[in-house]
Amino acid sequence: MTMTDQQHDTTSPGTTARGGVTSETRAFPAIDTSGGTGVKVLIFLRNWGILVLWLLLVVIFAFWAAPYFFTLANAALVANAAALTAIFAAAVGFGILSGALDLSIPGSATMAAVVGGLVISGGAPAWLGILAAIAVGIAVGTVNGILVQRGLNPLVVTIASLTVLTGLAQVVSGGLPVTGIDELTWMGSTSYWGIPAPVIVVGIVYLLGWFYLTQTRSGVRVMAVGGNIDAVRRVGIRADGYRVLGFILSGICAAIGGLLVMATTTQASPNPSVDLLFSAITAVALSGMPLTGGRGSLPRVLVGALIIATIASALIIRGIPPYWATIVTGVLLILALAFERFMAGAVAKRLAPPPTATLATAPANPAPTPKEA
Amino acid sequence: MATATAAGLKLTGIDLNYGFVKALDGVDFEVGPGEVVALLGDNGAGKSTLLKVMSGAHRPSAGTIEVGHAPTEFRSPRDASAAGIEMVYQDLALIDAADIATNLTLGREPVRKGFLGWLGILDKKAMRREARHELEALRVTTAPVTRPVEMLSGGQRQVVALARSAVRVTARGQGALLLDEPTAALGYAQTRQVEDLIRRMAEREIAVVVVTHNLPLCFAVADRIVVLNRGRKVADVATSETDNDAVVGWITGAKAPQPGLERMSA
Repeated sequence: MTMTDQQHDTTSPGTTARGGVTSETRAFPAIDTSGGTGVKVLIFLRNWGILVLWLLLVVIFAFWAAPYFFTLANAALVANAAALTAIFAAAVGFGILSGALDLSIPGSATMAAVVGGLVISGGAPAWLGILAAIAVGIAVGTVNGILVQRGLNPLVVTIASLTVLTGLAQVVSGGLPVTGIDELTWMGSTSYWGIPAPVIVVGIVYLLGWFYLTQTRSGVRVMAVGGNIDAVRRVGIRADGYRVLGFILSGICAAIGGLLVMATTTQASPNPSVDLLFSAITAVALSGMPLTGGRGSLPRVLVGALIIATIASALIIRGIPPYWATIVTGVLLILALAFERFMAGAVAKRLAPPPTATLATAPANPAPTPKEA
Repeated sequence: MATATAAGLKLTGIDLNYGFVKALDGVDFEVGPGEVVALLGDNGAGKSTLLKVMSGAHRPSAGTIEVGHAPTEFRSPRDASAAGIEMVYQDLALIDAADIATNLTLGREPVRKGFLGWLGILDKKAMRREARHELEALRVTTAPVTRPVEMLSGGQRQVVALARSAVRVTARGQGALLLDEPTAALGYAQTRQVEDLIRRMAEREIAVVVVTHNLPLCFAVADRIVVLNRGRKVADVATSETDNDAVVGWITGAKAPQPGLERMSA
């Protein structure tokens, strides 16, 4: 557990900077022998404990709800149920990662679906409807982002958007659902190779989202802005733009979610479903993504959505009333938080150096040492 | 030690008034490339105010600022940063959840070549390599550059923050690095690590200003010591030509200002 003052041992003045860095792992040989595998296991558990939890649940339910639970048919059902939660969870996730909990998501989704539905039922091709819906998502995200970037509180701004959009969707649709949208069944009730279409759409969104956030400059900056916007500003990046971008990504995911709902039900209801928002937030919270922003991972959010759907499915199979599923999910959420807290503490304890020499060993009053002798 | 002809940062006759209070009164200050100047003074002596003038956060009421001989005016910290003045804040301004490599390369992230680069896809290997080169150039080792900053100790975090600022000053080829209490939160061994780092940055021809209360730190790293007392410079002396007692005397006001720096009374 000793760190510090290794620089004299590891790099002699003669070594050129370039010479030492040939291999990825050997550049800093003297480091981290301390934590060793213990830390690695802890970090793995901290990052992927949620996956372990889900796999455990699947195994338990495979026995408990046998023989119907652990079947391909039920897997498709669970995946389909998780897909809707997951797409809205991605919307919530993008918002939180870039630094704000976006509550306008049900509003954007509803408005996007209504606009897309009206475009399609007006005779336009399906792709134009999809484009119109996504444009709505981008527009809502832009407005939210700009207002927040002007210093308004993100929660209040997005609640206001939700309220406005709820009314606006009623106005635009005339208060009635837009029905008979059969042009989108290819992304709704259709299955490909046994996989429901929404699951495929959500899979693609998550793959792109994960790649964007971890492998692109823009994505890394969106995360950085969520973590510490002042730090990003101080290195001369136009941080506000990335803040707005986070809201836009959230809006796009919400619009895709609205489209999926419309594609599955063949109609666009002008009433936002706030329930979907809450299960989405639950999935995000289960993934261990702190609401303070800047950290978290989309794949874990996906597992969070799967956990909710898995519990619901098993309880339905056992004939247990569905409200038990919400109770179990709530308890799990608190357990997940406690676990997260515990693991973060354990990792920190392993990595932090012991409280080594303190002021007592420092020369209290050193003789003035003229350096330039 | 750098001479006056190659100034990294030079302030002349800086006045700054807060209402009727004169926070700074005709202060001259200079730091050259490769020089470490410690800025000392009691609380309220004006050293933080002077640092804020240097970093562009405050505009002086009177006086001039030159960076590498060119007179400049800082309207904001961004102007100062563009001129090569890098401030390392006490709160470090790191992205906790991001790894060391991301923190060191933030704002100038290497991207892949060609079309992938146009798409903004990161060259993660180059990112790690650059981060390691930069740390090696300063001869510091912290932890694997893929480790999130939040998992580092206070000393390691400070090293990363210093290295990031040092790289930015070096890249501009002019300017200065301003450090505000760089060892305030560190233990003994970690303080030594940061002291070494400050000296190495000076070896790389970076001009460094250290504001501190910590006299041992000051004598360990500084080439020159500047003492402020109630908004005026009362001493500007090579570290080798003074001692602890003299500096304490200037800080507390028990010792008369150096010749030529006496308070001019009407």
